[in-house]
Amino acid sequence: MKNIPTLKLIILYFLTVLLSCSNDESSEYYTPSVSPVNYNLEAFPYNTLSDYNLFEGDLQNQKPVLGVIPYKPISTLFTDYAKKKRFLWMPNNTSANFVSDYEILDLPVGTILVKTFYYNNVLPSNTTRLIETRLLIKKPSGWIFSEYVWNEDQTEAFLDTTGSTVNIEWLEEGVSKSTNYRIPSESECRTCHKIGNVPFPIGVKPQNLNSDYPYPQEGAINQLQKLIIEGYLNPVDYSNVNTVVDWKDLSKPLQLRARSYLDINCAHCHSDDSHCSYRPIRLSFHDTETSEANLGICVVPDEDVNSTLTHVISPGRSERSVLSYRMNSTEESTKMPLIGRNLVDDQAISLINDWIDELTQTCE
Amino acid sequence: MKKITLLLALIFSTTIYSQDSCSSPQAITSGLYTVTAIDGTEGVTLMCTGGQNATNAEWFTYTPSNNYAVTVTTDLTINAGGDTRFHVYTGTCGALVCHSGDDDGGSGFLSLASFNVLAGTTYYIVFDNRWESDGFDFQLTEAPYVEPLVSFVSTPIASTGTYRNCVVDMNGDFLDDVVAISETNININFQQASGGFTVQNFTTTNADFLPSWSIAAGDIDDNGYNDLMYGAGSGVTFMKANNDGTGYLETSGPEYVFSQRTNFVDINNDGHLDAFVCHDVGPNQFYLNDGNGNLSHNQGGLGDSPSGGNYASLWTDYDNDGDVDLFISKCNGGGASASARYNQLHQNDGFGNFTDVSVAAGLYDPIQTWSSAWGDFDNDGWMDIFVGASTFVDGAHKLMHNNQDGTFTDITSGSGIDTFTDTGIEHITHDFNNDGYLDIFSAGNKILINNQDLTFTEIDVYFSVGAVGDLNNDGFLDVFNSNGNWYRNEGNSNNWIKINTQGDVNNPSGSNLNGIGARVEVQSALGTQIREVRSGDGFRHMSSLTTHFGLGSDTAITQIKVTWPSGLVDVLVNPAINTTITLAEGATLSVDEFTNKDIIVYPNPSKEEIFVKNHNLTDTKVIIHNMNGQRVFNFKKEKNSINIKNLQTGIYILTLQQGNKLYQHKIIKE
Repeated sequence: MKNIPTLKLIILYFLTVLLSCSNDESSEYYTPSVSPVNYNLEAFPYNTLSDYNLFEGDLQNQKPVLGVIPYKPISTLFTDYAKKKRFLWMPNNTSANFVSDYEILDLPVGTILVKTFYYNNVLPSNTTRLIETRLLIKKPSGWIFSEYVWNEDQTEAFLDTTGSTVNIEWLEEGVSKSTNYRIPSESECRTCHKIGNVPFPIGVKPQNLNSDYPYPQEGAINQLQKLIIEGYLNPVDYSNVNTVVDWKDLSKPLQLRARSYLDINCAHCHSDDSHCSYRPIRLSFHDTETSEANLGICVVPDEDVNSTLTHVISPGRSERSVLSYRMNSTEESTKMPLIGRNLVDDQAISLINDWIDELTQTCE
Repeated sequence: MKKITLLLALIFSTTIYSQDSCSSPQAITSGLYTVTAIDGTEGVTLMCTGGQNATNAEWFTYTPSNNYAVTVTTDLTINAGGDTRFHVYTGTCGALVCHSGDDDGGSGFLSLASFNVLAGTTYYIVFDNRWESDGFDFQLTEAPYVEPLVSFVSTPIASTGTYRNCVVDMNGDFLDDVVAISETNININFQQASGGFTVQNFTTTNADFLPSWSIAAGDIDDNGYNDLMYGAGSGVTFMKANNDGTGYLETSGPEYVFSQRTNFVDINNDGHLDAFVCHDVGPNQFYLNDGNGNLSHNQGGLGDSPSGGNYASLWTDYDNDGDVDLFISKCNGGGASASARYNQLHQNDGFGNFTDVSVAAGLYDPIQTWSSAWGDFDNDGWMDIFVGASTFVDGAHKLMHNNQDGTFTDITSGSGIDTFTDTGIEHITHDFNNDGYLDIFSAGNKILINNQDLTFTEIDVYFSVGAVGDLNNDGFLDVFNSNGNWYRNEGNSNNWIKINTQGDVNNPSGSNLNGIGARVEVQSALGTQIREVRSGDGFRHMSSLTTHFGLGSDTAITQIKVTWPSGLVDVLVNPAINTTITLAEGATLSVDEFTNKDIIVYPNPSKEEIFVKNHNLTDTKVIIHNMNGQRVFNFKKEKNSINIKNLQTGIYILTLQQGNKLYQHKIIKE
């Protein structure tokens, strides 16, 4: 509705009022035309998640209100198998601009990005348990991290930016798993979500969103198209966006799957001006498109993690590759990513090892 | 011709040998050999190169008739594209000892190692199939023997635990022990006075945090048994030894900290050890000791970069003013905006108030540094610094010489540090060859041997930095690293001395029991050497709290001087060498002699000035502690009076030390 000129809006409003007044029966078809999100930028962050009014009905069902749009990146970050629901919302009459395929959308002040982490089949009773909901809110001064931790009753999530640890046991595809799930403190949020020490979102890049999403009303349509329809994105031709693949999609080429995985799991630190920018690899989908060195192929590691490791990626030899070694580690000082996981993403290790083992370059 | 053909056999038309196992090796001399496949049934379980065991191997023996520097290599054109690994052992089958070995020292994945051999000793040269079972050629060449600058023999020790990063005395016998940590266990190999170790396991509660990033040891409750601090990615755990050393009690801070280097140090100079932890992603944190071993959490004032970047804290008295200052090796991504990558020097005003003097000192470097080595590299009595780069993208290693005025001069050029290109996270300094000059153990398995003129020579020791101590009490420093190996220093003819410091915990104005923060000075013909007692240097490990000095060929020590954190100074004249001395705080001082002289301190109480009658203060050290045992510095010594107008009102302990004579008296400031 946001692109509709004000006049049309006013007419529509009167029509709606007229209809709802003239016929009580039709009130069940009435839909509010303005998002009911409780928008008060100066008061953000609120003390509870419900204060925002992002969801209707039971909070734990995470059913978004009008204007809160679900989305999902094509490849996703591994965080100890936690499942995620993601939403975005923008204030009335604001919209984002397309910057480039590989940079986050230029989002307006007031934008709220919402990400809820939860597990299904939590033991002992195979229940769903919501752990945390992370809000990234764009204030006039920049992005802030607002972390909400769910209560035992699953009725509310409370603001807590100090960080904590939750032990959780659940069935993952029928297999019992457990982890000391880490709810991040603000400084941990910042570790990954920053460019040049300035807080930044990660996922909302055209390359990650240029795919269909099954919306409740429209059915499956392109996520960028949906944002344009909602008035959240100024119209742009996204047909040529250089797009990542779903790394779990076996029909896609190995290298493309590997690059897509590395982008969403590693590039937030291994990029220019990011947390690990002093290390040589650059793992964003854009940076790895043409450069083997950016991927770490034949790059000698700065740090001697283990004497058997010769290169960040030793072509044909995953066993000799730091990248594989670190992904396969759960030891705090050797594992990668550095934070956000305690368990090994076995499926991803297979992908990365298969990919490395097929490489044939000869290092100097 | 089962598997190997001596190429020479083409000429001499011999030989059928088996080299399937340690007990049936093939004896070789210098020359070129072919292995057709690695299928010997006895694999290898003793790794001389790191890495995992191998199921099959080819076994050779080599017994030189003269001393040589030998090179074994598979880095030959015919092997291009291959992947080999070998180990060189001495000893006997079943009791082999690593001597050398290599995995990827040649081009590609081929192997090459040079090592010294002695006439008549048998060396096992063993190629394994960890990477490939394919055949290959190898060559053994002999070159003239060169006396090594330093050499180590790898020796397995029964240390079991996930984190093998600590060598320190744990039971108060002043012999370095080997400590390994697991979630619910502290495994200690107690060094025995008679040599060797006795292993003991101490079950602990399941530690909330593990020493995955670093470990530190110190006796926070002065009970004679060192306590441990585990630095983990989201917090720290303290394991406090009980009063008879039979168990450990866990305290885990609820505070989040992304630990890097941890230390025990008396931050506020009150005689009790505090704990410090570098924070990777926020301002540093520390725990102050209430005097009973209870620690309270603090954050702020000791390196407050909002985005952290604090990798290694090193406590040193760089300005020789008697208190410990703080240097922080820093590293931070974020490109040009990453101000948190600049190293920091914080000057202590004596009260535990620290001022960032990095820029003025000339140490405000953007080098991505995970640790730095502080030591007096030229024995001029002032601490210098090797700034260790973990990558060269924001600057390379630097050698900075202390100008004795609070500033440092870059003397990297021409020092051998400028041509040292390995990068890494661990940089420590010790005198590994006992020549009286501090060496630097750094990245790439290299020890930079001090040439005694502020230049250094790179020596490859084939193992990485670990925890350092003397594990056989022979006066030469050994290394224990995460491979679980004890790298025993083979020593040389140089002389040495080791000094244990024992603070006077019964004196309210005395130092902490370990003497952490003490400055130890040894004078001999070669000059004056200094060390500091430090808990936690380099990045990860905890090394011995015993100070160690090489003496070169000097056969006598003029004196040992220990300046304690309390301010007291002990001097031991003409001590024995090639031995370990335990010096208790005040042991060389006498209260009686001084008091005979009828010193009178007046007026007492006083507002501005106190006079000392019957004693000239010119050659006297004046030390003042408050009643909490905290040393204070805001007074001024005159010829025969002490100006105390800046002291807060209250009761203080005045200590006068002249030579080995001591006078203590309570004074009241109004």
